Amino acid sequence: MARPDNEESPGTPRTWRKPPFIANPLVRYGLLVVLAAYLVWAFGSLPFNWERISEGLPRAARIFGGGFPPTLSRFDLLLTGFTESLQIAILATLLGVLLSVPFAVMAARNIAPLPIYLLGRAVIIISRSFHPVIVAILFVAAVGFGPLAGILTLTLYSIGFVGKLLAEEIEEIDWGQVEAMRSTGAGYLATLYYAVFPQILPRQVGLSMYQLDSNLRASAVVGIVGAGGIGSTLMNAFGRYDYDFAFAILLVIIAVILASEGVSGWVRKKIW
Amino acid sequence: MLVISNLIKRYGRDEPVLKGLDLAVEDNSVVAIVGASGAGKSTMLRCINRLVEPTSGSIKLNGTELVTLRHRELRRARRKIGMVFQGFNLIDRLTVMENVLAGRLGYVNLFQAITRRYPAADIERAFVLMERVGIAHYANKRADELSGGERQRVGVVRALMQEPEVLLADEPTASLDPRTSEQIMVLLQSLASELSLPVLINIHNVAQARTYTDRIVGLRHGTMIFDGAPSDFDKDALEAIYGGIEAPEDEAAPPPEEVRDGQA
Repeated sequence: MARPDNEESPGTPRTWRKPPFIANPLVRYGLLVVLAAYLVWAFGSLPFNWERISEGLPRAARIFGGGFPPTLSRFDLLLTGFTESLQIAILATLLGVLLSVPFAVMAARNIAPLPIYLLGRAVIIISRSFHPVIVAILFVAAVGFGPLAGILTLTLYSIGFVGKLLAEEIEEIDWGQVEAMRSTGAGYLATLYYAVFPQILPRQVGLSMYQLDSNLRASAVVGIVGAGGIGSTLMNAFGRYDYDFAFAILLVIIAVILASEGVSGWVRKKIW
Repeated sequence: MLVISNLIKRYGRDEPVLKGLDLAVEDNSVVAIVGASGAGKSTMLRCINRLVEPTSGSIKLNGTELVTLRHRELRRARRKIGMVFQGFNLIDRLTVMENVLAGRLGYVNLFQAITRRYPAADIERAFVLMERVGIAHYANKRADELSGGERQRVGVVRALMQEPEVLLADEPTASLDPRTSEQIMVLLQSLASELSLPVLINIHNVAQARTYTDRIVGLRHGTMIFDGAPSDFDKDALEAIYGGIEAPEDEAAPPPEEVRDGQA
């Protein structure tokens, strides 16, 4: 590649620069111009009411001030809320992770026939297309306030997320192992158990741990719309202007998420 | 006895990869199939156990037509066709024993397979075969902890667990160093006579083909252009098979008495 350049000027040292990420200069600079134009338009047209923002700041300060020092005076409420959230998160993760496996198999193009593949993809796309809060509102309407709505919501959420990533993992497995199992005369399910599942196992464990994390966090959010758990407790605390208790709840949520992140990281490292 | 007649394989609308191949292999003989990359060696082998669907033609194993089989009959037929792969294709995360027992997957039911409750006779056979090739002490090791030569032995034992009536080996030595690849060739050769199995070996290393097999079949562009004893495989045959094809130097005419490095 560099040769013709070299022949033209044999004396000068050859140079090299990293090829640009987008090869076409027109597209490259065009994108920058489009981005700049968008920012100007967005900031120019969105209604920022500076007056109200400046009025709101002292109120925010008051809420924060009311939150300090956080108090654990209603510790029993906090405990019940958290236990329920934990139960919701763990149950939903278990159910979701188990159910995500068949859907992931269905949604992997390399091992599923076309109609099954489309069905599997459809299930995953639908369960991913709504944010858990919206799904929780639907389930609260369907099965009433309480943890059941939370469990159903997060199970669906887990199927969508884990199923999608697992399907992609299945599509990237080493096909040789599948060929080897087929050539022994193994049937479809035996091939799945021997050639596919061992290959996706580490990923599945990692995803499950991540999903548990994520469900813990989400269980607090879906509680706010009435699906049980610490979210409901938090909402009540805010409603009663118990800012110090609400802040205590927030701090405990952070602590729990940190702890679960640490544990899941450790488990993922161990399993590999 | 394996009889292939007028085998044609065409991918899509392209030029056929196999153009009417005829080949008969007696029991108890080791046949090397040589040819440049893309000559159709691998496709031919995979047509036999239907990992690749033949476009037309007939393949008969001990009288059973393989090309028309479907579903259950196909799986039953595959049990009788052992295959050894270039990349070993072991299940890396399972133990050596599980990999070896996987050769019985065509015989056991799904429950036995998942719970690893294989019949005692299978486990005994697994130990006997692993001892035969010297890997019995690795039974509980994970397959990816073994060296290349050891892994290929696991691959061979897995194929033999099927109690095959024919053994297919798709470049079984191409991922191995020269010394180990010779050991694997010796192993295949002696197993063929011990178990009186026909063995078909796709191989790039012409020197090894000449040393360890009874018969050489040369493919070029999907057509058989040589079929004869290793002693008849001379410079002209070599030229006919590899000549005019880019970069055949790695394999070109190593001295027959000394096996040189067959570069994968």
